[in-house]
Amino acid sequence: MPEGEFVILFRYSKRDGAEFISHLDLLRHIDRTLRRAHIAVKKSEAVNRHPRIYLSAPVGVGVVSNAEYCLIDAEFEGDFQAAFNAHAPLGVRCLAWTRTDKKVNVAGDVTACEYRVEGLAPFDAAAILSMRELVLTDKRGRTKDVRPSVLGLEVREDGVWMKLSAGETTLRPDVLGEYLAARFGGSVAFVEKTAAFGLEAYGV
Amino acid sequence: MKEIQTTLRECLLRSEKPSRYVGGEVNAPVFREGAFSFCMCFPEVYEVGMSNLGTKIVAASMERAGFAVDWCFAPWPDFGGALRSHGLPLCSLYGRKPLREFDMVGFSLGFELSYTNVLYMLDLAGIPLLRRERGDAYPIIACGGPCCINPAPLAAFFDLFFIGDGEEADAEVGRLYLACKDREEFLRRAAEVKGVYVPAYPRSRVERAYVADLDKAIYPESFIVPNCEAVHDRAVIEVMRGCYRGCRFCQAGFLYRPVRTRSVETLTKQAQSLIETTGYDELSLNSLSTGDYPHLRELLRSLKERLPKDVSVALPSLRVDSFDSEFAQDSRKSSLTFAPEAGTQRLRDVINKDITLEEILKAANSAFDLGYFSVKLYFMFGLPTETDEDLLGIADIAQRISDLYYAKKRAKSLRISISASTFIPKPFTPFQWERQASEEEVRHKIEVLRRALRLRGVTLSWNDYFTSQLEACLARGDERMGDVILEAYRRGCKFDSWMEQLDAESWRAAFAAAGVQPSSYTRAFAEDEVLPWDFVDIGVNKAFFLREKQKAYRAESTGGCLDGCKRCGLQKICPKVNL
Repeated sequence: MPEGEFVILFRYSKRDGAEFISHLDLLRHIDRTLRRAHIAVKKSEAVNRHPRIYLSAPVGVGVVSNAEYCLIDAEFEGDFQAAFNAHAPLGVRCLAWTRTDKKVNVAGDVTACEYRVEGLAPFDAAAILSMRELVLTDKRGRTKDVRPSVLGLEVREDGVWMKLSAGETTLRPDVLGEYLAARFGGSVAFVEKTAAFGLEAYGV
Repeated sequence: MKEIQTTLRECLLRSEKPSRYVGGEVNAPVFREGAFSFCMCFPEVYEVGMSNLGTKIVAASMERAGFAVDWCFAPWPDFGGALRSHGLPLCSLYGRKPLREFDMVGFSLGFELSYTNVLYMLDLAGIPLLRRERGDAYPIIACGGPCCINPAPLAAFFDLFFIGDGEEADAEVGRLYLACKDREEFLRRAAEVKGVYVPAYPRSRVERAYVADLDKAIYPESFIVPNCEAVHDRAVIEVMRGCYRGCRFCQAGFLYRPVRTRSVETLTKQAQSLIETTGYDELSLNSLSTGDYPHLRELLRSLKERLPKDVSVALPSLRVDSFDSEFAQDSRKSSLTFAPEAGTQRLRDVINKDITLEEILKAANSAFDLGYFSVKLYFMFGLPTETDEDLLGIADIAQRISDLYYAKKRAKSLRISISASTFIPKPFTPFQWERQASEEEVRHKIEVLRRALRLRGVTLSWNDYFTSQLEACLARGDERMGDVILEAYRRGCKFDSWMEQLDAESWRAAFAAAGVQPSSYTRAFAEDEVLPWDFVDIGVNKAFFLREKQKAYRAESTGGCLDGCKRCGLQKICPKVNL
């Protein structure tokens, strides 16, 4: 997106069933929502011209979220939030929006995300945070120290809150959650993404 | 859906595509209980069901009548299995109401290989599969769609069949339900409604329902925009119903006679409404032969004027002789599809497919000059009177297309893909008495064609023989075929049209257990034999079908309705005749 041209940046939710829609299908839905709302999105110059809609990195299917970001190259005068929400599928709601001429990268600029996980048995979060390394083995048998990706961990009444790194090294909440479940009991019954960090400057 | 319960969430997370089951789509109906509740079921997965037009029309007509309408599609085995292991009954998509609590559960049957899925859905819903085992406590289990034209194999399962156009009888039956005191009275009186067949109250003749004025017929103003990409993920308008042509193998061509068209004005309005409410950027002009729509140019002009500029208009079902460079100018397209069905002019005359090799070449030539470099050709194996010479004719067509392409200097090399399927003699066609070619015969035909097709850039594919044989048995079967279907389902058969799910061994075992030979349905039927579907009256005379059959054996084509009435039996109601 060239600097100096205005684009629309907005934060939206994925809940009430919409958390089960895949990333690619969601992109199609946002495109169609904008078409229904008569918000004209500029198209790419490629042979197969696609609308210039950019989504933040995919969140796992089934993860409820209030912190998804989308950038669209469109000129629109008026209340974007009302126009979008009047035409969006259930659970996909624009929560905040802004017009900006800054160079935004909705996928790359997000450095960390916060999640709330329900279903895990209580454990001593401070003890986990005091560990020097936390080596996990993935399904293919590869091992990795994920400790640097765990930026925060707290056991609260409404679940386990975790702040995990995103971007270059991403740690998924279900991966850490399954480790905790295996060690302390319970299961990953429900995951909610509560915040994404890195785009605060835009006020959305 | 505000809250997804924990158990359901678990089932969803265990399934491959959970968005099939959550609802919440744009234009999704809000289910509100009413005096009569109807669940529109489609015995296939969500992406297939969401692409079906007939169910949308039926649902719209039920909604207009003021009934409570909800939807249900066949859950893929992963989700179905999860429901079962958690003891959850199959529920409707929007109101989350168990299927067994509806007044009527209606299945749309467009394809014979979805029959076991009906049993699968009833079973998941906790509804007894056999109608004699269902009392007042269960919904009326009904079906509609083209497969109902031969109700016999399904008569043990369904209480009621809607035969013919869905717009007519469905809502009337709903009103009748409300006027009756119990199931028995309802079924007895429903059996008197035109276009309805009730196996418990059989009649010697059942006339199909028929929409005389398609232009005024109900059509959905908006489509549900599916959560995951549907097979046909686009807006659709039905420009006409029926086909003027009269190809002798084509069941739809006879079932939907006579041709009824919609006006350019109505179609434009419907298209505008669908594009506006769905946000689709593609509109498909559907019918059995859209190139024959009499006002096609005018319609395309009107759509171009009234729809947003970036909406593309797709014209499926264009016949070879209506391929016109004017309709085909879409720079993204590179592939052209023809269905000559038979390799020689003689055999095309036998099947009354009134196109010539010259027409195919002419159309291909205009397409090649527009930059098309890929051609798909559809043929059938085992058509009546077919010989090896006809198969060699297929190779000849491929050779001629290739020669034509390379006669000029082209940037890309040509790709020709030939698909051949085994001919299935369907009820209500002039070929309804024909036998189906045996597996050995088909194997021989494939071999003859394969050897003849030694041409660069040509690929040949054919479909599984067992699937075609099964489709023939289900389409031509009598009541005994119902035993086979039940037995097959009990042995785990479902999603039979999905090659990775089809369990041919279990089907074979089911035939054996029911004491039924597939050959009793794939054999030739005698002309004086009473056929299982003879009591259904679609309006086209049996005498006409016989005449057509005899002409086929003399390799005489009849042509279609556009070059003069052929007196099929529908003259009294045919808009063309009565112009």
